Amino acid sequence: MNLPEKLIASDTVNTTCCYCGVGCGVTAAVADNQVVAVAGDNQHPANKGRLCIKGSSLHETQSSPDRLLSPMLHGKPVDWDTALDYGAAKFRDIIEQHGPDAVAFYLSGQLLTEDYYVANKLMKGFVGTANIDTNSRLCMASAVVAHKRAFGSDAVPGCYEDLEQTDVLIMVGSNTAYAHPVVYQRIAKAKEERPDMKIVVLDPRRTATCEIADIHLPLRPGTDAYFFNGLLTYLADHNGIDQDFVDTHTNGFDDSLAAARGQVPDITAAAHLCQLERADVEKVYQLFAQNDKVVTVFSQGVNQSSSGVDKGNALINCHLASGKIGKPGATPFSITGQPNAMGGREVGGLANQLAAHMGFDKPEDIHRVEQFWQAPNMARKEGLKAVDMFRAIEEGKIKAVWIMATNPAVTMPEAGRVRKALEKCDLVMVSDCIGNTDTAKLADLVLPATTWSEKHGTVTNSERCISLQKGFLNAPGEARHDWEIICQFAQKLGYGEHFSYSHQVDIFREHAALSGLDNNHSRGFNISALEEIDKKDYENFAPLRWPVTDQSPEGTDRLFTDGRFYTPDGRARFIPIEARLPVNTPAADQVILNTGRIRDQWHTMSRTGTAAKLLGHVDEPYIDIHPEDIERFGLIEGDLAVLANQGQRYFGRVKKSADQREGEVFVPMHWNGKYAASSCADALVNAVVDPICGQPEFKHSPVRISPFKQAWNGFLVCADDITPACEYWAKITLDGGYKFRLADGECPDNWASWVKNQFPHIDDWVDVCDSGQQFFRAAGFTGGRLQVVFSAATDKTSAREMRWLEQQLGQEIDANTRFAILAGIPGGGVEDEGAMVCSCYQVGQNTIAKAIKGGCASVEALGEKLKCGTNCGSCIPELKALLR
Amino acid sequence: MAAGRFLDELIKRGISGFEVTVIGDERQGSYNRIMLSPVLAGETDVPAIIGKPSSWYRDQGIRFVSGVQVKAIERAQKCVLTTEGNRLRYDHLVLAVGSRPAKIPAENQQLDNIYSFRTLRDVDRLLNKARFHEMHGRKTDTDALVIGGGLLGLEAAYGLALKGLRVTLVHRSGWLLNRQLDPIAAGYLKRALEAKNIEFMLSDEVARFTGTHELKAAEFKSGKHLSCKLCVIATGITPNKELGLAAGLKGERGVAVNAFMATSDESISALGECVEFKGDTFGLVEPIWQQCTTLAERLCNNIKLPFENNPVPTKLKVSGVNLFSAGEFLTTDEHRELVYQDDKAGIYRKLLLRDNRIVGAVLIGDARDGQDYFSMLTEKKDVTEIAPFLLMGRAFYQTNEQPDSSDETEAA
Repeated sequence: MNLPEKLIASDTVNTTCCYCGVGCGVTAAVADNQVVAVAGDNQHPANKGRLCIKGSSLHETQSSPDRLLSPMLHGKPVDWDTALDYGAAKFRDIIEQHGPDAVAFYLSGQLLTEDYYVANKLMKGFVGTANIDTNSRLCMASAVVAHKRAFGSDAVPGCYEDLEQTDVLIMVGSNTAYAHPVVYQRIAKAKEERPDMKIVVLDPRRTATCEIADIHLPLRPGTDAYFFNGLLTYLADHNGIDQDFVDTHTNGFDDSLAAARGQVPDITAAAHLCQLERADVEKVYQLFAQNDKVVTVFSQGVNQSSSGVDKGNALINCHLASGKIGKPGATPFSITGQPNAMGGREVGGLANQLAAHMGFDKPEDIHRVEQFWQAPNMARKEGLKAVDMFRAIEEGKIKAVWIMATNPAVTMPEAGRVRKALEKCDLVMVSDCIGNTDTAKLADLVLPATTWSEKHGTVTNSERCISLQKGFLNAPGEARHDWEIICQFAQKLGYGEHFSYSHQVDIFREHAALSGLDNNHSRGFNISALEEIDKKDYENFAPLRWPVTDQSPEGTDRLFTDGRFYTPDGRARFIPIEARLPVNTPAADQVILNTGRIRDQWHTMSRTGTAAKLLGHVDEPYIDIHPEDIERFGLIEGDLAVLANQGQRYFGRVKKSADQREGEVFVPMHWNGKYAASSCADALVNAVVDPICGQPEFKHSPVRISPFKQAWNGFLVCADDITPACEYWAKITLDGGYKFRLADGECPDNWASWVKNQFPHIDDWVDVCDSGQQFFRAAGFTGGRLQVVFSAATDKTSAREMRWLEQQLGQEIDANTRFAILAGIPGGGVEDEGAMVCSCYQVGQNTIAKAIKGGCASVEALGEKLKCGTNCGSCIPELKALLR
Repeated sequence: MAAGRFLDELIKRGISGFEVTVIGDERQGSYNRIMLSPVLAGETDVPAIIGKPSSWYRDQGIRFVSGVQVKAIERAQKCVLTTEGNRLRYDHLVLAVGSRPAKIPAENQQLDNIYSFRTLRDVDRLLNKARFHEMHGRKTDTDALVIGGGLLGLEAAYGLALKGLRVTLVHRSGWLLNRQLDPIAAGYLKRALEAKNIEFMLSDEVARFTGTHELKAAEFKSGKHLSCKLCVIATGITPNKELGLAAGLKGERGVAVNAFMATSDESISALGECVEFKGDTFGLVEPIWQQCTTLAERLCNNIKLPFENNPVPTKLKVSGVNLFSAGEFLTTDEHRELVYQDDKAGIYRKLLLRDNRIVGAVLIGDARDGQDYFSMLTEKKDVTEIAPFLLMGRAFYQTNEQPDSSDETEAA
């Protein structure tokens, strides 16, 4: 691909994208400590030059106005020493009084592997608790346990090439078109080149991914495991079992088949249970049975479930039974959400893991790690997983929590409850690059961390590919790397000598060494060949898929090619699955809430929300809902509706969508208190979790839905970021400011004072008032430059938004253009008449000049044509002057 | 002025069959009285506002008797008697004798340097006085006192202020132009004029003037006292009805006419500021121009085109500030009021609606679109749909509705 000109002209650097789990290589052009352009890295195996819109906007999201520049203690800036002393003293006091289980870390798939490693080491080896969990709990925990149960290790068997080389690609609960756009592009291209390749999508919604699908199965939510149990039965009944593979490389097939057959004896049962057409189910079962090359991709639709682990194993069972694993174009494929969820899993930075694919279930693992770390306070049992961790905070059992690079006040199920729990927690520490996330606002201590383009270290993507996310810009203000902050904190706790790394590579080497320690093919994650990597090679790290061992120094594209797994006997395990429906079923007046990503936003928008371009696709929280449900609940397309559960409300604009099943709505998960008054989807999600892995059921919450009865609506375009005093608002970033959509159930007494009170520093206003209270408009100026435009109406028709208006923000506006500002549109269609000449007939100078050009040669002729001068005659001298 | 316009209308229709005589008090021919303020302000000069010099009458074959007043009408003989004692016979007499400045009830109005503001002669004397005011050398509270906050008074005040005089304007009402504007609009106007060095005394009246021969000061009903060098009284007009009524023509406030401008004597017609039609008198040009057309049609073509006293909007550039007022202008509880306010630019626009129809418009600072609002007002157009855009001007509300006929009407 052609690099943008800027990339050719400037210094370039290769790094990795900070968004999704695809893990694309990015070539960034740098000038004056700024990223001036980005392009896909042609050499990176994940994307081979491609980038999605989020990735290609990386340079537009680097300077946030909300960037945190110094440590903040109770809202006041302090120096680093003061900040860390405060946090460490609190931690120490709490540990002394209440034991180590009274403190916790909550990490993020946005952290780099090196950050993760030191955090995990500090908590489990030195503080002495496994209360360290991460937002990966919300997205990958089910797949992790499914992998461990089946393969003996948390390892994705295939690589991205398998998705291109396969003959049948089944995507289950995975909207790659939005969530993993570059992987989707690779699949679409493969399909274009080989139209015979079949693509099947299993998803209750008809998502954008279905555009390239041959078959879309809109199954009943949560019935994936029934579908795959049915497939296992079908394989057994239709000669689809690879008996050799089953006999040689697996255990437990018979029990699993019996369980599957007992629950789903045939295609008819499968179709019935999943609410699908029998013929469609049969077609997909046939495709699976009759093709050797089949890949089943699965992500959040499978994982975010109260039975996510079982769903994962149900589909892995089918691959094991048919031997479709460890071969090009044949594998189950869990695709991760975050850029480094995988890195966290490798490090073991989760409450139910220990370190480097070792767990608490084996005393020898604990001993090995204890020795390796020279740990004085080794944790010996699993800690609290995310939902339980925040419950323990709520109950006061955990008294101090350090949250890094994530926003649980928005993203946890029952987020409103999490918010309240944090409000009363003794010590909430947050390290983040943004100082005013919903979570940071609840913190006692906020620490400024480096972000993409500044931080430096490794990440692992969905196909086990480790690459370097490179730091090449100087950090602004006092910002520090997460690993540095953690190590300095460890020092304050008195463990300095064990955290005296001078560079990321020191941590990486230790991490690599631990991965190989006594491994002997017992643990999937092994990068022991890199334990002595020199700094130069680390700085130029070429992407590698693990394992990276002496036997495979160039990495490993596919696992299990020899049929050997990471279990003690080397055999994969079938898991008998008793498929279960989601825990909560909707009452008659409820719909099922499904949540997920949109194309152009990332997580809680703290980065992507700052780029106007990325709000162009979808700029406001919405509710996708079936036409019949719109009718049933008395909703109106384009109006606001309210979803309610848990005493929380989600406001969204009603979008009619036949892509939804009846009784089910979809809402984006991204909006939060920084971007909307009350549109946090996860606040409505019940904290129902998978009993094995603790992952919450984000895809299935019964909620009430009703139209929002608004007394007025409107919009506000302004240069300053404010929080409108309004029941509903949604913030849309513009190039020169912000736009807010507004609505409220009650009209303010006086719109003029409502808006003016929110901009007390502005005193030059122009407004239009209607004593009938049907509409109001106002614009505010500072030094003649437009600062605010407000438009309100009691009916929904009169408030219009125009891009033109948004472009006027910050511009100098003359008295005449102020009319246009209030109208919201340029005075198109009618020419500017120029200075008024004939007051009687309102004829302006430009109009007269035009008539003169057109042949009017006398005052009389002008009067004949334009009437000017024919009433009071006061303008005749001016007309004469214009004629001369 | 009305006579001049009437002559134009006659000539347009052909006067070859008539012998026309014009008798006028003023020496000049017909001039545009509305332009007196710009003359006073120095924005234009006397020749520029004289529409019909003596030569014009000659060229048109019209006998022009200037500097002469008619003392009496002798209807039986169909004669008029001039102040010079001449009798002129007529077949048909048209009275276009206009009006004179209204009187105020203050004492000592006979003092020197108290002027009215009506004729070129008034303006000439004021200009002279203004030019020499510095020669008086006397320190006074203000240079010129202007009485009357109507259109004329404001224009006089503005003209004098432009000449460099310190001007104080006294107005009986609580706000300026109280027959055309609401208090808020008047406030905008006041602010604009204050910026031009005019001071205001509202809700007050002159009780008496003081001085021996020359004006020295004015005493006010409020008890205030203001020394000054000159005073202009511009409180309104009184129709010159006396000539007609003395001859036995009917009328109370003016000489009564019917819809065809005929008085109670079929050989005498009347038009302009001296007439009374259905109880109304006239001060604005628009209806008077219509009267000229009606009368010319009747006399030349014997066509009866009735004069209708339709509502007339006030559209003026008062002292550099554009103004428009039509229909109702004071907001009551029964109105829906739409208001545009731009304090900084000095723009205020108000529309009063009843049943979603415009019944009044007050514009100040930017009077464009006034004519459009007035059309909507007379057509009783339903403005429900375009209400939010109405005040922003036609460029905006016209893009928000289907094109209608009002546009074409105006262009026609």
